[in-house]
Amino acid sequence: MKQIDFFAGKQVTRRQLLAGSAALGSVFAAAGLTGCGGSASAAAVQDIAFWHLLSGGDGIKMQAMIRQANEGNPGFTVHPTVLAWGPPYYTKLAMASAGGRPPELAIMHASRVPGYAPGGLIDPWDMSLLAEHGVTAESFAPRIWDKSQHDGQVFSIALDSHPFVMFYNTEVAGKAGVLTPNGQLQDVGSPQEFLSMAREMQKVTQAHGLSFGYLGSGSQMWRLFYTLYKQHGVDMELTPGQSMKADRDAAIESLEFMASLFDDTIAAQSGDISTGIAEFARGSSGMLFSGVWELPTLKKAGLPVDAATIPTLYGTPAAYADSHSFVLPRQLNDDDEKRRSVYKFVSDVLKGSLSWAEAGHIPAYQPIVQSQAYRELTPQIHYANAADIIAYDPESWFSGSGSDWQTYFAENVQNVLLGRDKAADGWDAFVQRTNTLLSRPNPV
Amino acid sequence: MSSLATSRRTAERTATSPSQFRPAPSRRSRDNLTGWGFAAPFLAFFLIFLVWPLLYGFVMSLTGKSLTGANDSLIGLANYAEALADTAMWRSLGNTLYFTVISTVPLVIVALVMAALLNVGLPAQWLWRLSYFAPYLLASTVVSLFFTWMYNPQLGLINDSLSKIGLPKVAWLNDPNVAMWAIVIATLWWTVGFNFLLYLAAMQNIPHQHYEAASLDGAGAWRQFFSITLPQLAPTTVMIVLLQILASLKIFDQVYQMTAGGPSGSTRPVVQYIFETGFTGYRLGYSAAVSYIFFGLIVIVSVMQFVITRRRSA
Repeated sequence: MKQIDFFAGKQVTRRQLLAGSAALGSVFAAAGLTGCGGSASAAAVQDIAFWHLLSGGDGIKMQAMIRQANEGNPGFTVHPTVLAWGPPYYTKLAMASAGGRPPELAIMHASRVPGYAPGGLIDPWDMSLLAEHGVTAESFAPRIWDKSQHDGQVFSIALDSHPFVMFYNTEVAGKAGVLTPNGQLQDVGSPQEFLSMAREMQKVTQAHGLSFGYLGSGSQMWRLFYTLYKQHGVDMELTPGQSMKADRDAAIESLEFMASLFDDTIAAQSGDISTGIAEFARGSSGMLFSGVWELPTLKKAGLPVDAATIPTLYGTPAAYADSHSFVLPRQLNDDDEKRRSVYKFVSDVLKGSLSWAEAGHIPAYQPIVQSQAYRELTPQIHYANAADIIAYDPESWFSGSGSDWQTYFAENVQNVLLGRDKAADGWDAFVQRTNTLLSRPNPV
Repeated sequence: MSSLATSRRTAERTATSPSQFRPAPSRRSRDNLTGWGFAAPFLAFFLIFLVWPLLYGFVMSLTGKSLTGANDSLIGLANYAEALADTAMWRSLGNTLYFTVISTVPLVIVALVMAALLNVGLPAQWLWRLSYFAPYLLASTVVSLFFTWMYNPQLGLINDSLSKIGLPKVAWLNDPNVAMWAIVIATLWWTVGFNFLLYLAAMQNIPHQHYEAASLDGAGAWRQFFSITLPQLAPTTVMIVLLQILASLKIFDQVYQMTAGGPSGSTRPVVQYIFETGFTGYRLGYSAAVSYIFFGLIVIVSVMQFVITRRRSA
């Protein structure tokens, strides 16, 4: 076949076709070169890839902080990539780092760092470079700073701490007679006192006293459980190759208390996160257990809302929390100049984290926390004490925010909360599942 | 097969024995080359995207390979031994088989009923065909979101309808005894259209004379259905059942999006377990071993299906 029928009525020889393709190819090649030339002329500005998992109101705040930092630093432009929270984010970040194509900077929950640092997926921070921008160890609250260390090196720089807290409707609380003269919720010091306060609020709303959506969400169940567990003044340890160390009695008591909440008077028996928040936002309950990041949503709902840490029911003040932290994914080719720009960007964002506090989070950077502007933020200032009592997840490669471990917790505990299983059985099954994980080879 | 091949070879020998008809060797090898040339793109894809990953995955299953690059050494069959003793794996495998059984039956029967109803000659056929098939075109995310809202215990349409007629509310996606059925219902609505189309096409291919002859002999509609339609559809049914079993064994999307494997792990399929151990649990070697166990299961099912089909057609 010497000739090819190309278009009806017109015949093109093979030689002509090849010549044509070559010409077309060179046109594309030329266009490509022009493209390169275009970016090369702008090479003075460094492009920094930044991955994070902040969406909704948090995402908008972060975008504004990035824009501000970009405008203040003509030498670099930070390009954010937002990925879905939980396993999708952490899987992609691990794969990108392992595959040698990671971003220059990423946000991680501090509780997930033990799954990344030992495997070499992230690099330690050089504190002397941060000190050039005035950020030092003293810039952070002690608990938050301690959490940023791993094997004696600093692997994460916290932007905030975001504890699990209690929001309350001041109007409902007022009518229920559970407010102090200064307008804040009365202190309660035992499970019974809390339950009776919730019942008083239920009498006002005629629906529920407390909203807490937990169905299908391991994170939600874990956040409240771990808060109550830590209030017993006990610890939990996960050491690969050994059995899980935990206080069984404290765990069972915490689970039994949680189950006692879901009686359809104090709280709805079958509520997921969205229905829990919606219930509180429309005034059908007096209190909501949730993360501080929910504050913008509640304010937008026009509620008379205040907040406090979850009452100390078992003697030791404690609040489950995590921190959004900056980490440096390991680069195949170190670019010192770029790294320096990353340090500058991070210090700029830390110094501008008052706007981050407006989204509900407690800033990690102490000069902000101590500023007058922060003291004037309500209800943020009413739970700012949480920074001193926060409890991060027990450390291991499989624990932390959005981890499968929290899913396993839900798998064994949801039926306890629904009143179908005994607390002891649910807890023991979870311990067994955890021990299986601990007995397996450590992949990091 | 061997007798057929022998006779074909004999025929070729007879046809090509006179030397004037034997093709020149150079021409034959050129033809071969052209053939390989045409097959090459497909072969390349087959080798790169199927054979190579298959071998690579198997080798990986014999190592302790981690997503972080640690423990890359060969550990023999340790991963397989661990998997066989892993209750979580067996549970997810059990969930997969349970879903396959309880989804395949309605997905075949409902499709058959729908096709039979339409085949009796309802007016506006195109509208029925479209409405039965349209859900199949939706993405799994859309279907999952849609059903998640319908199943919502407090605000969902289904529970709302149940309480209006005086029935108790059901925790569709939160009750371990119900969740898998809820997923089957969603899957049925979503994918039954494909089987329906296959059945309808097969039904419309049955010669009309069969029905005419049966009517003359006095056979009623039910008799005709069981004695003509069903037997004629047998090859289609075998094909649909086979395709459906393989599709159901691969269940992942809707479960991941509707229940994420919960409540209490009651809906976690083995594909999700493979994903979790490999990508969120970092243990690629172990994950590969579980995939190969699952692969073995699929091979067994396929072979069984093949044997049954052959016996029927023999």
